[in-house]
Amino acid sequence: MIRLNNIHKSFDGNEVLKGISTVFEPGKTNLIIGRSGSGKTVLLKSICGLFEIDKGEIWYNDRDFTQITEKERKKMRQEIGMVFQGGALFDSINVEGNVRFPLDMFTNMTSVEKQKRVEFCLDHVNIEKKAFRLSPSEISGGMQKRVAIARAIALNPKYLFCDEPNSGLDPETATVIDKLIQALTKEFQMTTIINTHDMNSVIEIGESVLFISKGEKEWTGSKTEILSSGNQKLEDFIFANKLYAQMKGK
Amino acid sequence: MDFFFHIGRYFTLLKRVFARPEKHKMYVRQLFHEIDTLGVNSVWIVIIISVFIGGIMTIQFAYSMSNPIYPKDLIGFGTRDTLILEFSSTMLALIMAGKIGSNITSEIGSMRVTKQIDSLEIMGVNSASYLILPKIVAVVLIFPFLFIMSVFFGILGGLVTGPLAGVVTVPEFLQGLKFAFVPYYITFSAIKSLVFGFLVASVPAYFGYYVQGGALEVGKASTKAVVNTNILVLFFDLILTRLLLT
Repeated sequence: MIRLNNIHKSFDGNEVLKGISTVFEPGKTNLIIGRSGSGKTVLLKSICGLFEIDKGEIWYNDRDFTQITEKERKKMRQEIGMVFQGGALFDSINVEGNVRFPLDMFTNMTSVEKQKRVEFCLDHVNIEKKAFRLSPSEISGGMQKRVAIARAIALNPKYLFCDEPNSGLDPETATVIDKLIQALTKEFQMTTIINTHDMNSVIEIGESVLFISKGEKEWTGSKTEILSSGNQKLEDFIFANKLYAQMKGK
Repeated sequence: MDFFFHIGRYFTLLKRVFARPEKHKMYVRQLFHEIDTLGVNSVWIVIIISVFIGGIMTIQFAYSMSNPIYPKDLIGFGTRDTLILEFSSTMLALIMAGKIGSNITSEIGSMRVTKQIDSLEIMGVNSASYLILPKIVAVVLIFPFLFIMSVFFGILGGLVTGPLAGVVTVPEFLQGLKFAFVPYYITFSAIKSLVFGFLVASVPAYFGYYVQGGALEVGKASTKAVVNTNILVLFFDLILTRLLLT
């Protein structure tokens, strides 16, 4: 579980996060949604420690991430997996090498054990063996995202963060990625936080949704509640897409 | 103010670079990769440039010493000392700042803009150390070898070009090479090449590591890195020459 308590973050005097408090539960796909520039990415990067927050608390179960030492934080990072918007695979190593990298860096596993783990992770994201030796530039965007997910779960993390994991993908592949993240979340009981502005993702896998607007928490709920939230800002965001307006009968 | 900001940030980065590595084995593997990429791949360009410059220097020395009052031996002597004292250390460092330096900035800069560095940080890897330390060690290790190779091939270039151009005979050139040789010059230039190696790796790495934006900014950072490295190489050349040679 991850609990945020009154998170504030500013850049050059411009307050981007204004006191956000919420809880992200394990075994669920927790979505952060909002318009571009609403502070979603800053929030996600603050939670995982890529940005230092100005004020507030970030609790990973019973550990306050803002209070622990750099050494403890480094160790804790091994419990975190992250999937970046563009995949962020290391382009100097092949698919297999990308998944093996965290194992090489942080475990004392034998080569055989590492290979087994790599195959296990890549198999879980449906990457065929023939693609193992290809470099990231030789595979499609959807495959890159799946390899990024495989790398993120290589160390068996407790927490998984995904920054717009299906951006730039066709709707079918985007759904595959969404479903894959949800399935992995359930299987490994991870606390998964997904940053998205894709309403299809919300409808598909939005078990818990946090809507933020201009750096403030506007609404929380689930995908079943979202169409009848009664929150004007949320409705404006959702029904900007005509399809959902039709669903609502607007 | 901008200057002091960069100096401060450069040393802060160096502090992170020289932090204790997470796993030595991974760094050693990366070091060999960098020696191959940055060092072995530079051997041909060093040989080609040195052979040509050695030949050109020999012809130019012959031209400026065309007065019969000067013994022909001075051509080999002049070529040798110029190569050892300045070309094979300083000029080579300037050339390598263009080749190796821009390579380092664009590689690290691309990793920054494609979030690969963030990805390392999230995993708990000290990205500054993992990406930059092997490059610095590799370049510092290979620079003295490139220096010696450059001196050798520069002299070879002069030895072949001079007699072919008919400006000096082989015995005269060889006699000049042996004339008034000061072994300390080799030590002096080897020290310079170590310092230049450090600058050629660390300054471009700094510019790459802090790139913000996209491909355009990576290109701009590469240009900045090469210009600044060249200025620093010349500045340190002046300091080291003053300290070690006078």
